[in-house]
Amino acid sequence: MKLTQSFIFVSVATFLFFLINVFAFYLLLRGHNFPGGGFIGGLGSAISLILLSLAIGVKTMDRILRFDPVAIAAAGLLIAFLTSCIGMFAGDPFLTQYNLKLTDVPLLGELALGTPLLFDIGVYLVVVGVTTKMIFLLARSVEGHPAFEDHERDRYASVIEEPIENLAAPPRESPVSDSKLHDV
Amino acid sequence: MMFETAILVGILFGFAVWLILQSSFVKILFGFILLSNAANLAMLSSSGSPSGRSAPVVLDGIAVTAMADPLPQALVLTAIVIGFGVLSYLVVLLYRIFLDQKTTNAAELFDESRSQEGGPEQ
Amino acid sequence: MNLVVLPVLLPALTGLFALLILRPSPVRRTLVGISGGLQVALACTLVGLTYTQGPMKVELGDWPAPFGIVLYIDVLAAIMIAIGAVISWACMLYGFFELPTRVTHPLRLPLVQFLMMGINLALVTADLFNLFVAFEVMLLASYALITLEADDWNIKEAFPYLSVNLFSSMLFLAGAGFAYGMFGSLNFADIAQQAELMADDPRVGALGILLLVVFGIKAGIFPLYFWLPNSYPILPAPLAALYAGMLTKVGVYVILRLFGTLLPHEFSGLHLVVAWMGGLTMVLGVLGAVSRGFIRGILSFHILSQIGYMILAIGFFTPFSIAAVIFYNIHNNIVKASLFLVGGTATVLNRTDTLARMGNLWVATPALGIIFLCQALSLAGLPPFSGFWGKLMIVLEGLNLGSGPGGWQFFVLTGLALFTGILTLFSMLKIWLTTFWVRDESIEVHREDRRWKGMTAVVGGMCLLSLTIGFGAQFFIKLSFEASRQLLDKAAYIEFILGPS
Repeated sequence: MKLTQSFIFVSVATFLFFLINVFAFYLLLRGHNFPGGGFIGGLGSAISLILLSLAIGVKTMDRILRFDPVAIAAAGLLIAFLTSCIGMFAGDPFLTQYNLKLTDVPLLGELALGTPLLFDIGVYLVVVGVTTKMIFLLARSVEGHPAFEDHERDRYASVIEEPIENLAAPPRESPVSDSKLHDV
Repeated sequence: MMFETAILVGILFGFAVWLILQSSFVKILFGFILLSNAANLAMLSSSGSPSGRSAPVVLDGIAVTAMADPLPQALVLTAIVIGFGVLSYLVVLLYRIFLDQKTTNAAELFDESRSQEGGPEQ
Repeated sequence: MNLVVLPVLLPALTGLFALLILRPSPVRRTLVGISGGLQVALACTLVGLTYTQGPMKVELGDWPAPFGIVLYIDVLAAIMIAIGAVISWACMLYGFFELPTRVTHPLRLPLVQFLMMGINLALVTADLFNLFVAFEVMLLASYALITLEADDWNIKEAFPYLSVNLFSSMLFLAGAGFAYGMFGSLNFADIAQQAELMADDPRVGALGILLLVVFGIKAGIFPLYFWLPNSYPILPAPLAALYAGMLTKVGVYVILRLFGTLLPHEFSGLHLVVAWMGGLTMVLGVLGAVSRGFIRGILSFHILSQIGYMILAIGFFTPFSIAAVIFYNIHNNIVKASLFLVGGTATVLNRTDTLARMGNLWVATPALGIIFLCQALSLAGLPPFSGFWGKLMIVLEGLNLGSGPGGWQFFVLTGLALFTGILTLFSMLKIWLTTFWVRDESIEVHREDRRWKGMTAVVGGMCLLSLTIGFGAQFFIKLSFEASRQLLDKAAYIEFILGPS
């Protein structure tokens, strides 16, 4: 399926991409004490990416993204876990939070920083990564592309597997015939 | 309010089960979506009736007593996210089964008489 | 106190680093292998600490008990963590021997670590909603693993697995909401304290039955097991071993917690129902096993019948029978997992696991035959193997209860248990005779495929462990009694979690 490339939609989506992301960052930074936080901010960013992919197509999106959504999600989860561990080194329970209040920051004035913000950034990355991965994967099949690019295949698929889209291809001799429930 | 919610949860559960028992993949998928909504609603309703209470946001000048119970709301958010993850997995699984077996009918899927090269032989 | 978090944290971090390495590589294998060893060491430390110094807890983020999340480890949880660590480590090492680095599925190792994270979180958690989250982490990893390496034909068997478990998760969620509406708390100790006061309230019983259905689906008890025996065989051998050894046993563990900690102990009617469900699971599971013609199918049905024994003993509900369940769990997880691994090795040698086309293995590798025979006899419950002691304890308690009022039911159930033991022996010997003992010139044994040696070594280690449990039964039974005592001592549990009232 080829998406109709409407000039109006493409320009509006490219513009909105930045606007939505600004709002998403606002939500991310404002979180913890007010409605907002990493989760909802991550959803905002993911939505901006998805909107952009609708406008320019998943293929182009892949080319300009330059990062693997799963790696982003894993890195985010790692940040969240490591932030939760800070307390353990200080002898407090897991997930203990520490806050820091700076009173004299140039341009900003009063600034409250804390480990919850780091945790939220981790959550933000997880949500962006996971959501975009899921949606892009589904969108690829809608647009008729294979599920994995060639450079991704060795990350997500075993080398002995055929892409499921190649249904006409004859079954290759599999080195692990024992992985089958029934011998063919 | 709580009585109506209980009825609604019951209807959603019943309708979801009916849909899941159909053989079409799409109906099964919608059944699970309804089911997860029903369960989320049941979870949310455990906070009691929200009428006359404010949102659970701590701001200066609002009495803490007149707030809706925030815990079920936090829990239901978690549950929605988990449900979203599992359902998207279900979508992909059904899609893959469709590609592999070329059917969107669950009854046909498990029909032993349908023969295929390399299929079970017991 | 932060030791309680480590069984969850260690697999999580390992899985994440493995995921960040992106491609299967020797570095990743080394990392996961070392982490597996660390997890075993950590779990053994936990067993030692909880046995000598009593349970441990941590209040996450320093929030006090009924409001914040509490993680809790007693001897029972520590034992389960230890078994899980041992089995996952063995399965990973076996997987290393089974497939060279280049052809392993890139996501297998991270997902196994995430699966262990979910399992361990389910074991250490002390509140109902966290249990739900842990189950979902565990199940999502297991959904992914079950379809990861399935081929085009078998993939459909993952669909009932997914839909049944998704359904039970949703029931669990509704049940958690129900519990919160009723008790105003999700903390186990808080619920237990309040449920004790309102034991006559039918709603407590209803909640108990709802949760029993949920956990019964996960554990595979009699009317709710149909999803299990067809879905497990589609897994490759090491993963099937992990699933058989740990995943369903988490259901048993949670049922133990449900009856031991959460619900009032006076629900004898419900306990009797559970005992009957266990008895029927036992018999129907083993009958299914007798009817199957390939190794993984037979073993998958045996999972059910072994679960049946444990559920039966939970239904007896005496301190002795709970200790029997725990001992049975220790023995059975190891044996079950290693049987799947032996089956996988035999499959590599014969290039099939359909019994009709297997054979000649005794000539090719007597060591594997001996290992299989030890584990099979242990599963059937012959002395002096570990299974004998577990079965003996269950049967003794059944006969003991049989002399009480309404005893005929317990006599019938004990009879069923013995009958199941015989049928288990029959079907295990069927595998033994056709795969190892049969001499058939037309059947090839691929000894030149070097992989089987390393695989046999791993299985041999598991077999040694299982023999240790059998011959050193006294130590493990003492451990089980301590676990049973801590599990059933509700007053101490409530005081430990909520603080002195």
